[in-house]
Amino acid sequence: MMHIDQANSHITIQDLGRTGVAHLGVPIGGAIDRQALTLANRLVANPDNCAALEFSAGEFTIRFEIDTWVALCGGHFDASISNRPLWNGWRGKVNKGESLYIRGPKQGMYGYLAIMGGIDCETVLKGKGTDITNEFGGHHGRYLEAGDRLNIGVTALGNFSRPIGAVQRANDGILRALPGPELALFSQFSKKAFWHTSWKVSNQSNRMGTRLDGQPLSTETDISLRSHGVMPGVVQVPPNGQPIVLMADAQTTGGYPRIACVIAADLWKVAQTRPRQALIFQHISPSQAQSANYEWQQYHYRLARAMDGS
Amino acid sequence: MVPESIIYPLGENALVLDPAPRAAIDYSLQSKLCWIADSSRNLAGVLNAVPGMNNLTLYFDNPERLKSGEAILQQLWDEAEQHSLPQRNIDIPVIYGGEYGPDIDNVANAHQLSVDAVISLHSSARYRVFFIGFQPGFAYLDGLPTSLHTPRLSIPRQQVPAGSIGIGGEQTGIYPSQSPGGWQLIGQTNLKLFNPLQRSPNLLQPGDIVTFVPVRSFTS
Repeated sequence: MMHIDQANSHITIQDLGRTGVAHLGVPIGGAIDRQALTLANRLVANPDNCAALEFSAGEFTIRFEIDTWVALCGGHFDASISNRPLWNGWRGKVNKGESLYIRGPKQGMYGYLAIMGGIDCETVLKGKGTDITNEFGGHHGRYLEAGDRLNIGVTALGNFSRPIGAVQRANDGILRALPGPELALFSQFSKKAFWHTSWKVSNQSNRMGTRLDGQPLSTETDISLRSHGVMPGVVQVPPNGQPIVLMADAQTTGGYPRIACVIAADLWKVAQTRPRQALIFQHISPSQAQSANYEWQQYHYRLARAMDGS
Repeated sequence: MVPESIIYPLGENALVLDPAPRAAIDYSLQSKLCWIADSSRNLAGVLNAVPGMNNLTLYFDNPERLKSGEAILQQLWDEAEQHSLPQRNIDIPVIYGGEYGPDIDNVANAHQLSVDAVISLHSSARYRVFFIGFQPGFAYLDGLPTSLHTPRLSIPRQQVPAGSIGIGGEQTGIYPSQSPGGWQLIGQTNLKLFNPLQRSPNLLQPGDIVTFVPVRSFTS
């Protein structure tokens, strides 16, 4: 059991999202930075899809009723267990009765705290993640509050000999993307602007989508599209010409032109970019997208080797 | 005669089946696409099968699935001819106008109709559910009489109550949960359109034929 003693941050429970329910209008959901959640889970030997805490700017304190290990990943948050620091990208031991204090971020947007065994909450529509918009999943479909108590999954206490840390990959703000089905319908000027100018993240962004500010884009002629399935990574251009990168909680269907799709390997960068910071799109081929996935496989392979016997 | 099928990729992991993007919206095509979606949902590597308006998007777990996925889609498309969706009749009780439908006068004025005529037109039509999207449980309905097509509000509302029935352009629909919205609100139902804790969380599904039934109060 863990207790939220103080919560001054938007804290939700997230896993890797829901599959098989998008046709019911239910968003994919799950961690907005899937890479960070996966890393945090691996550092404490959890399956990748274990439910963990996702949090944004602010501070909070959690008290643990059991001995366990936790890992902190994603945006750069400051954390301490009693008075011992818990570094970003590291796992650390928590003793029964100790409190973990987290504050930030200094860099990035979203932090993740994985707890050995994962957070044990009800599975709703094939996932444990909190859907804030539609008020289900996680802990009563809402942000965590002071006084909330969460169960931790039962697991044999990992026999870790020491804390261990991972070097998290740097966010270079370059989004590798495949052309979208409607790219060709945009004006020559708009295509150039999309791929060759930088885009500032708008403060209107949230877990549903990251809105970008820059040179307005338009199609060559007015087009009216029928609603079609959309998913995280799809870049839509609404009538105001300012693109939106769809994120974890995106609606399941939409009708705006799809100018591009950010590849899965780079979507975490969108999640971790702050308002007014810049992003650029890089036009790549499907085989380059495969290589980008391979970069992540190598990263996790090296991490697994480094953790062998730890 | 089977129209030529058009399949194209969306990003690394998805395929779109869009057989007739320029033809008029067609229910028999939608029925085929929904049958293909239901048939493909349990195939290995298919994460989601999402019907849109006369199109279908399949999401796979891995880019390497796209090639075989295209062949499977083509095969299902060829088989789809013999299949159609179950058709259920669903009645939706509605209190029209007043506090439940604050924009019904707008709609009446826009078409120089009386409020009673709006109610009668809206409730005598039969609406077909094409697909569920946008929000959990939100049904895209076809069948709004042309004489009720009304532009959206110029300034969307911050909060539309769950169960509100609105008109937006050529469409009518029911808001399953409280959300912002720009449709002209003409009434409200007390039925729950989306319940995440139920095995079938949505009241409506593709193929359903929806009728709005005017009521004075929600008894029972």
